[in-house]
Amino acid sequence: MIRENKNNSRRQTFLSMVILSILIVIGVGIFITQSQFNPGILQKDALLPKPDKDKPSSQLSPNASFVPLPEGIQPLTSTEMFDPRNLSDKINGKAELYLSAGFTRLISQRFRDERATDLWMEAFVYDMGNSQNAFSVFSAQRRQDAESLGLAQHAYRTPNALFLIHGRYYVEIIASNVSEQVQQPVKMMAETFIRNTPAKIAAVNETELFPKQELVKNSMVLISSDAFGYDGFDKIYTAEYEFDEHNLTAYLSHRRTPVKAKELASAYIMFLLAYGGKNIEAQLSIKGARLIEILDTYEIVFFHGSYLAGIREAATINQAKTLAIRLYHRIKEGGNESRSEQ
Amino acid sequence: MNPDPNSSGLNRRQFLDRLAKAGISITAACAAGFWFHDSKGPTLSKNDQSNLILPDFSIHALGQKMSIVRGEDRVATLRMALKSLGGIEAFIKKGDRVLLKVNAAFASPAMLSATTHPAIITEMTQLCLRAGAASVLVTDNPINDPASCFSLTGIADAARSAGARVLLPRNDLFSPMTVKDAKLIRNWPVLYKPFTDITKVIGMAPLKDHHRSGASMIMKNWYGLLGGRRNIFHQDIHNIIMELAMMVKPSLVILDATTSMMTNGPTGGSLSDLKNTNTMIVSTDQVAVDAFGASLLGKSLDELPFIGKAEAAGIGTADYHKLNPVMASI
Repeated sequence: MIRENKNNSRRQTFLSMVILSILIVIGVGIFITQSQFNPGILQKDALLPKPDKDKPSSQLSPNASFVPLPEGIQPLTSTEMFDPRNLSDKINGKAELYLSAGFTRLISQRFRDERATDLWMEAFVYDMGNSQNAFSVFSAQRRQDAESLGLAQHAYRTPNALFLIHGRYYVEIIASNVSEQVQQPVKMMAETFIRNTPAKIAAVNETELFPKQELVKNSMVLISSDAFGYDGFDKIYTAEYEFDEHNLTAYLSHRRTPVKAKELASAYIMFLLAYGGKNIEAQLSIKGARLIEILDTYEIVFFHGSYLAGIREAATINQAKTLAIRLYHRIKEGGNESRSEQ
Repeated sequence: MNPDPNSSGLNRRQFLDRLAKAGISITAACAAGFWFHDSKGPTLSKNDQSNLILPDFSIHALGQKMSIVRGEDRVATLRMALKSLGGIEAFIKKGDRVLLKVNAAFASPAMLSATTHPAIITEMTQLCLRAGAASVLVTDNPINDPASCFSLTGIADAARSAGARVLLPRNDLFSPMTVKDAKLIRNWPVLYKPFTDITKVIGMAPLKDHHRSGASMIMKNWYGLLGGRRNIFHQDIHNIIMELAMMVKPSLVILDATTSMMTNGPTGGSLSDLKNTNTMIVSTDQVAVDAFGASLLGKSLDELPFIGKAEAAGIGTADYHKLNPVMASI
């Protein structure tokens, strides 16, 4: 009788497990089916952008500003906030640039200048999580003919706008017209924002490691992902150089360990060779450096400690070698001290 | 027949009791499932209209025509481009009800060239009305709040002052549509209603760099007809542009490359992003116009795969030279 009970118990346990398994399979099936519904249909109430409620009119009642304002500047519309899920509702196709760089939040608002009734401006404050990410989106969009400003860590202005980094924030202030009148309120807004927004400023970063000689002004860029078309290259700093009227690029990236730096260098070399690069035997005074000819230009790839570095698009081997050696020495001398805030 | 207290077996009464309870539970579960079951699934409206299609607004008798006019004055170049194609009368007949699909995507000033310039909206509206059009409608479903976009860009004032009606998108103007042979636009909400009472469609877009697609020109401008969570299409941007071009067969398209956004598109933000390329392109072939626009942005067709895809889909020709475009300058 005891044996029979044990058999019954086992059978019941087995049947219970089978039934539970079937229920789990049904649950997973329902979940998969639900997740594949047409989002255009499910979003019944969101066919359109959310109404601003505010009209761009001087008769608007004042709204609260998300930041203290200088005298004479008043909110024109209410504050708008965006996160990674809806950033494209504000900036459409450019959202990818920010998302790939670590974007966390955007606050934007339009303001008007009481002294100029037809002037309005819009401020965009992107919280990029850290100053490195902020530098990435700042540098990727830098306007070459802009006037550099000393009011922040990195800042410049163009005839109608001002762009800056303050700690982890990337800030754009864009005015509705171009005039002498525009420059002053835009700058005042930027200064007020900086003064009233605590931010951790990174004192030194990878940009300090690039050699200064022949460096093209304001050419440094931080590429967050897929640098040079290689999907393994993320957080790559680049800088442009001009040698004998030829432009070439130097790059560097700090990896987590020396082994990671070495592995990434090897992987990138394989990538170049797979896409038609040819290995060139050459005397290079950098241990482990490789010289590759590709598309009638020369590349050098090397690593030192936790740094991966290299030269791209050099017109001659000599140019590539000269810049690589300068970069190597800069990394060797300052690489340990120059890690930026992460 | 007293049950053995040491036995785990069931007597007849217990068995029937459990059987009845199990039966009631199963019946209740089935009834609840049947009650909640929706055999049709969710739809945007009570009437499933996903089989709707936009009418063909192209003017077959005209064939493929193209005009490229160089000059700094966008109104003057637009006039000349139209004149070189036979005048506005070749496209707009008396009594036509015209829809101008503009780019009002962003609430930014006209000087940033992120949206269709108000000056050519005024001009086209006036030309259409002078040619005998019964009405001109201006619409778009912008990225930002529609009222702000139409107002701050100057488009609303420009259109109204010239006699056009501005139609801001509303939920009841959208209907689910499926484009034939499309993989993406299937049962998707489209700004359909404005197209139901018109006879001609004119696409009007600025020439812009675009971070995701490489360029925003005529075909990308139809993106503003989509509703819903359309940003998911950014993951397959070239195919969605091609499908949009399959969806809309316009009477005429106008690409304003007087001032082009060369970098940091599609929003731009600085005058430094712009370049005076001083060109107005007018055509009946939206693929040809985009192919020419690519050259002004300094981009090859390989960099803008949606152009090749559109040509392969039979929408138009990427080799605009085949259209023998009229070239002129002011």
